[in-house]
Amino acid sequence: MAREPQAFVVLGFPSTHDALDAESLLGDLGIDVVPIPTPKSIGALCGIALRIAPADEQRATAYLQSAGIGISAHATILDV
Amino acid sequence: MDDIVYLDHGATSWPKPPQVVDAVADALAEYGGNPGRGAHRLALATARMIHGARRDLAGFLGVDDARDLLFQPGCTQALNLMLRGLIAPGDRVVTTSIEHNAVARPLNLLAREGVDVVVVAADETGTVSAQAIAAALAQAPTRAVVFQHASNLTGAIQPVAEIVAAAHAAGALALVDGAQAGGHLDVQLSSLRVDAWACSGHKGMLGPQGIGVLYLAPDCRPAPLVTGGTGGGSSADAQQPDVRPDRYEAGTPNTPGIAGLGAAARFLAQDADVQRAEERRLARRLHEGILAIGGFRVLGPGPDVPRVPIVSAVHERLDADRLAFVLDREWGVAVRAGLHCAPWAHESLGTAATGALRFGVGWRNTDAHIETALSALARLVGEA
Repeated sequence: MAREPQAFVVLGFPSTHDALDAESLLGDLGIDVVPIPTPKSIGALCGIALRIAPADEQRATAYLQSAGIGISAHATILDV
Repeated sequence: MDDIVYLDHGATSWPKPPQVVDAVADALAEYGGNPGRGAHRLALATARMIHGARRDLAGFLGVDDARDLLFQPGCTQALNLMLRGLIAPGDRVVTTSIEHNAVARPLNLLAREGVDVVVVAADETGTVSAQAIAAALAQAPTRAVVFQHASNLTGAIQPVAEIVAAAHAAGALALVDGAQAGGHLDVQLSSLRVDAWACSGHKGMLGPQGIGVLYLAPDCRPAPLVTGGTGGGSSADAQQPDVRPDRYEAGTPNTPGIAGLGAAARFLAQDADVQRAEERRLARRLHEGILAIGGFRVLGPGPDVPRVPIVSAVHERLDADRLAFVLDREWGVAVRAGLHCAPWAHESLGTAATGALRFGVGWRNTDAHIETALSALARLVGEA
């Protein structure tokens, strides 16, 4: 049986260091965050992007901005 | 190797803390993925280890933003990046007569390419005054002051904060060779206000060989020395990424070296002050003991003056190379003789013809090591 695609938000970062800083910060905030290979569709960024639930998007981006972590791109993807 | 009295920490530290050895072994076993080049679990584990090591080192060295602390294949490479990335033909540079070859040789090469290199003399203790630097800066517009944090020959600690202030007052960059300072001194880079600071990982920092760090102040932007793959910014126009640390870390990194250096930073952070006080006490005992043997001139500041734990001596008639050889062969005491890759410094102190016998104290040395070295030296001098 095929798995049902789900919508996720993907955040891209300028460097792996930023992506891992962001993963740690979002984890501390209690947000479920999964590192994934950066989808080509969001541009030539570092190799690691972070996948979060759409419901967490606003809270996550506001928190990362306040912590000085630059988000280079974000997009909504359909994934499994 | 337990019978070695190892007093060559100025060249490299030995042994390494067990945590460092374990971290290197763990890296080879557990962190086999290529960091930043993928998001599978092995690549992620490696990237996380490097991320953690960078943050731990930044904390230990007082760097506000860990992205400004760059891993390099050693201090020499870091210094080359610093010097070649920031200095160009037509620039004027002020440096000192006490520099090591890792600074002197790149500057000599730059001088041949059209850089005006002005050398300020160190005093008889191997120390350079900020006033002398300021006087040299007053003579012409200058791109940078390039100087060591502490001497690999005399152990003298330079007045870094004062020299940085003099450089900035003249509109020059303050570029520092911290090879002998890291680990042995409490270095807080962001508050020191240096523009760039390079350090070995394997000396006082107690990490493996083949890894070093370069700190760049946030607004210091050298051209990269090495370009290539970084795992990110794989754009079609083949530009090196503009972001740190990626911009200055092209190529697959020395993962075991970084793991070991991160473990070393965590080890040092536990009781660095106690360790430094002990190193300084042993170096002072060595210094006073050598003077008591008679016939030796000890280079650098007197025993009461704080120094990194290096003590170099010249005997009035016995050859330093011969003394080092016999100390090793007959007494198991490992020291370094000769010019210590620092011919400028030896010329500055009048020891270019003789070289010197250098003792470098480190974290595992004991009173017994120092007394063995002193007894051996006294016997050799007495028998000669």
